Amino acid sequence: MTTDRPTGSPPGPPDFVLQAPSGAYLSLNPATKLLVAAVEVEAAFLVGTWTGPILVLLLVLASAAIAGVMPRLAVIVAVTVPIVASIVLINGFLYPGAVDVFVRIGPLAPSVSGFLFGLQITLRLLAASLALAVAYLATRTDDLLSDLERRGFGRRATYVIGSAIETVPRTVDRAAEIVDAQRSRGLDTEGRWWRRARGIVPLAAPVVFGALTEVEERTMALEARAFSTPGPRTVLRVLPDSTPQRLVRYALLLALVAMIVGRIAGPLGVLP
Amino acid sequence: MDWLSRQFSTRVIVLMPIAIAINIVLGATVQQALKLPIYLDSIGTILVGVVAGPFAGLLTGVLSNLIWGYLLPAPIGSTTIGPFAIVAGVIGLLAGVWGRLGLFRSRRGERSSIPGAVVAVILVGALAVYTYARAYASPTDFQNNTGFDPGTIDQSRIFFLVILVVFVALIAVALFLRRDVGAVYAIGAGLATGIVAAIVSAPIAAVVFGGVTGSGTDLLVAAFRAGGDSLVSATLKQGLLSDPMDKMITSFVVFFIIGNLSQRFIARFPNGERLVSTSSM
Repeated sequence: MTTDRPTGSPPGPPDFVLQAPSGAYLSLNPATKLLVAAVEVEAAFLVGTWTGPILVLLLVLASAAIAGVMPRLAVIVAVTVPIVASIVLINGFLYPGAVDVFVRIGPLAPSVSGFLFGLQITLRLLAASLALAVAYLATRTDDLLSDLERRGFGRRATYVIGSAIETVPRTVDRAAEIVDAQRSRGLDTEGRWWRRARGIVPLAAPVVFGALTEVEERTMALEARAFSTPGPRTVLRVLPDSTPQRLVRYALLLALVAMIVGRIAGPLGVLP
Repeated sequence: MDWLSRQFSTRVIVLMPIAIAINIVLGATVQQALKLPIYLDSIGTILVGVVAGPFAGLLTGVLSNLIWGYLLPAPIGSTTIGPFAIVAGVIGLLAGVWGRLGLFRSRRGERSSIPGAVVAVILVGALAVYTYARAYASPTDFQNNTGFDPGTIDQSRIFFLVILVVFVALIAVALFLRRDVGAVYAIGAGLATGIVAAIVSAPIAAVVFGGVTGSGTDLLVAAFRAGGDSLVSATLKQGLLSDPMDKMITSFVVFFIIGNLSQRFIARFPNGERLVSTSSM
């Protein structure tokens, strides 16, 4: 299916269907963004010890700036601060076998090699998680799923992922209501731990039973819409794709394999 | 391939996203509301594994962690969860095996299964003593590992005893309040799952995060490492403290859920016939 449409007046879908996104990074096909993210994650772990994470981090920040998702990315970075701090501190003060300890305070032995190790793990983790975060922020979940389905990714898998993402916020609201309801009935959520432990069943059970009551109805609704019928479906909203992008994707797939080979054969491991 | 496609009926496909949402929501909110040092993020995984089969359980676990880690935005989503997808998958796979063996079947009022329950208690007790001995029993090991004086306070032993107390308390509730010996099997299955989960997750925590996942368990890891333990063995010891307790409670909750759903509902799932109590039919 050729999908390159001239940008002026697309003859395609009706108004209630969202327009395809525009912009250098945003307009990439979801599959391309996903593959780029996969390559970035792999590079963060396989290319050298410092080179890969730093290069990937620069690349990720650049694509975030182009896509205009910097503010939302900053929120994600802020959330990772506690774990980053504990990685650096615990490794810095408690690195086993460190020879360059500057001072010993009881069990604490801060060392340069420990801090460097902590910093390196942190960079790697940040690069990998931000690569995925940018791809997520710059892609609508529906777009990714419908594009994957169009490429022959199973309809069942697409439904499971899409429906799970949709169900989470609704279940969060329901769980909050249940916590309030049980508190108003005298559930102790502040007392000693054995009192709080008694709250597990009164909290978890209504959330679970409430969610499970939907299974029966949804099964029938899906079957009534020929969910398990074989054969392809017509997609209402086709996302742009192009030959250069297709070529880039093949190159990215090659890079995924090449990095593993390069790491095992040696050259990538030699890098700093 | 029939056994495989049977595990993915439309009913199971509908249950999976709901189970994934249950995992994520309970994992993220119950910990905050109750402030207990357990995860409670595998109820949905174990439920799907038990009612649908090992492969459905595996997929539910893996997808839960991937979606939680990478597809949800920051307030709920957490990047530290993603790499543990393999562990969640193993938990679901094991739950499927336990479900196939009928360990989650309600056995309310079945006299004949009492001897079986006694055997289960003995087996699980032996398992618990074994892990206890491996991880903490030797006083010199304990001193070397934690740097604490064994004469003063024996923290890791207290933790392990808490696990045993929880185990015994759950069995007591099941036997004397609910009069259902089936729960003993389910809790035993949970303990076994927890030990396997700890063993699988330790190398991941060590390699990906340097042993630090940003939660309360970091202190335990730090204590073990201060004593000169290697990264992997420190995270393993931490896992052996937290995971068995978590999975026993989770299995008990799943058993309670299955026992309280209508039999008609349960029987329609692929593994339904092994979960419905025979005595009440």
